[in-house]
Amino acid sequence: MHSRCTRRRFLAGAGALAAGTALPVGRLWAADEPTRPRSRVVVARDEALAGGKLDEHRELLEKLLNAAMQKLTGAADAATAWRQLFKPSERIGIKVNTLGLSAQPPVADAIVAGLRLAGVPAEKIVIWDRFDTELEKAGFKLNKSASGVQCRGTDTKRGGNGYQEKIESSGQIGSCFSKIVAEEIDALISVPVLKDHNLAGVTLGMKNFYGAIHNPNKYHDGNCDPYIVDVVAHRFIAKKWRLTVCDGIRGQCQGGPGAKPGFQWPFAGLLLGTDFVATDAVGADILEKQRKEKGLKSLAEDGRPPKHIATACARGFGEADLAKIERLEV
Amino acid sequence: MDNLDNLFASPSRRDVLRWGAACAAACGLARGVRALAQQDAASTAELAGPRLAGVARHPALFWEKLPDNRVKCLLCPRGCEVADVERGYCGVRENQGGAYQTLVYGTLCSANLDPIEKKPLFHYLPGTPAFSIATAGCNLECKFCQNWQISQYRPEQVESIVTEPRKLVDACKARKCPTIAYTYSEPVVFYEYMHDTAALGREHGLGSVMISNGYIQEQPLRQLCRQLTGVKIDFKAFTEKFYQEACAGQLKFVLATLEVLKDVGIWFELVILIVPTLNDSPDEIKQMSEWVVKHLGPDVPMHFTRFHPTYRVTNLPQTPIPTLEQCRLIALDAGVHYVYAGNVPMHPGENTYCHGCKHELIRRIGYEVASNQIRDGKCPKCGTAIPGVWSQEQALAFKPREKPSAPTASQPS
Repeated sequence: MHSRCTRRRFLAGAGALAAGTALPVGRLWAADEPTRPRSRVVVARDEALAGGKLDEHRELLEKLLNAAMQKLTGAADAATAWRQLFKPSERIGIKVNTLGLSAQPPVADAIVAGLRLAGVPAEKIVIWDRFDTELEKAGFKLNKSASGVQCRGTDTKRGGNGYQEKIESSGQIGSCFSKIVAEEIDALISVPVLKDHNLAGVTLGMKNFYGAIHNPNKYHDGNCDPYIVDVVAHRFIAKKWRLTVCDGIRGQCQGGPGAKPGFQWPFAGLLLGTDFVATDAVGADILEKQRKEKGLKSLAEDGRPPKHIATACARGFGEADLAKIERLEV
Repeated sequence: MDNLDNLFASPSRRDVLRWGAACAAACGLARGVRALAQQDAASTAELAGPRLAGVARHPALFWEKLPDNRVKCLLCPRGCEVADVERGYCGVRENQGGAYQTLVYGTLCSANLDPIEKKPLFHYLPGTPAFSIATAGCNLECKFCQNWQISQYRPEQVESIVTEPRKLVDACKARKCPTIAYTYSEPVVFYEYMHDTAALGREHGLGSVMISNGYIQEQPLRQLCRQLTGVKIDFKAFTEKFYQEACAGQLKFVLATLEVLKDVGIWFELVILIVPTLNDSPDEIKQMSEWVVKHLGPDVPMHFTRFHPTYRVTNLPQTPIPTLEQCRLIALDAGVHYVYAGNVPMHPGENTYCHGCKHELIRRIGYEVASNQIRDGKCPKCGTAIPGVWSQEQALAFKPREKPSAPTASQPS
């Protein structure tokens, strides 16, 4: 992305815009072009979300998400905002993170409501992660019927292998990808949790896609770098990923990815972005500040700097420099 | 695996790999694929326990606690530090709330009655069958892995049946099979099951052989050798570069394992898969062979085997037979007494020749032993003692030399 805006890229972008599809804001222009808009990340918070069960705040959550979408896209109303990123004819995959401290079902439901505003039929939406068991444990209700929003794991049962048989290579990784992401969907929404990771430093929108490959355990050396970027660089992810909605209703600044209540705090918000590097950079910044407030070492001092964010930036996938990211609040 | 009788009706690639019939057919065994398949299906039916609805859990050995509910695995040289709810590199050992668990205790994804020559072990009860089993998982990632569809998968991703050690031992005895082979994927990662089954097998007169990459720490290896009766190590290359780039491992740890095996005194053989352009340089083979003679002695057999394109190395041809022949000659010149060319059925390099008088002792056709002239462990022509394990009594009589000041096992109670 730091390379020149090529004729091919210009035509692709212009063609897509002409067709009414708004491509990810931060990923269409080359970084060194003066006309390139700043990568935009929206931090949407409402203190009311901090109290009680999230189930009780579904309406509020939906409103907050839609407001954030409008802020992100500049659209006059929520339906237009969602339509800028998703078309009714597309099949949408919502990749939730259910390992350890999990993304919460009401957040996924609010996203589904937004997609429905854009005219995406429920049957074209699938909420997914690695295992049925992890989804259920996180409170998601599985749905494998032909009607309604789908909800299922790549591995639906023991021995029921939902990964492609072919090995895909991307950078240093060699993995079989989930058939859901490889074959069943056109567009992706990453729904991570605002949380710490014991090796990668943070596990946000990018790291979430370790749940799309069959062998993530092979790629944790070196703070998971450059493997995280190798995964998201693959065409199954990079070409489909439109939006990150990070569940920051409760954050966790230490001890991740497992749930450690002692290190959780009510951030009471969501992080949205179409530049997945910028969104992760802002999330990491929030976690670092919380660590400082709690008297914890910085991630770098703790031997686990989130190197993959800088690597993703260096490879042209987005902006990692906080000074260059337009951070908007709702 | 609900309907085992149908497994081989029209086997998929995964099925073939899983149950090993293809190799037997390809290498000239007299039995047909279907006949072998039916026999194996019967054997697995005999083993079949409940089909798993989730992963099994069994306390892991060799780990220590770290702060924040993390653990450090002490089984293999990787020494993975694993956070709560995460798994080690092998993908089959998981931290659950600060306690390390193995997810593959008795969860067999492969079970087959193989000739011991298929392991290959050429100096261990030649011509006998080995009840061969595996679970998912491996602690390396060799880009040329022939069994990647089980070794590089996690337990949830392969079909498995639960088989307690007792059941496996009973099935083995019922078939009058003298040996259990822990093989196909990487048995180090299902250490606990291998250890318990091998111990029980010994009590019932069965030997146990581990077919491994040798990526294991010294203490668990020494403890395991008290139960095993033989080992085969995949000695993948003689350069750190190859181990790091092609296997995601380090050569030095494998060399350490080989020296421990030598020290323990257990019977072991070496297999070197020759991958064209990657580990086939004559200089490297010479250095490797000289190291073997110097550190392990001339009686450790070396098998140079033929590579076939697979997994992540599909851009290289299969190993030319002259390359294998050259490797064999280099090792013989370096002083190794027993050197074989493997995966080349009918090749004279698959036979065993007395290192004293060069008399042909064992003739092999693929995995079949066509003739075996060794008597009481000796060459019938010149009387030279042939190194190896030639009777079950000899196998079971093995007791490892103990390290004088072996530390106590670092396993949580």
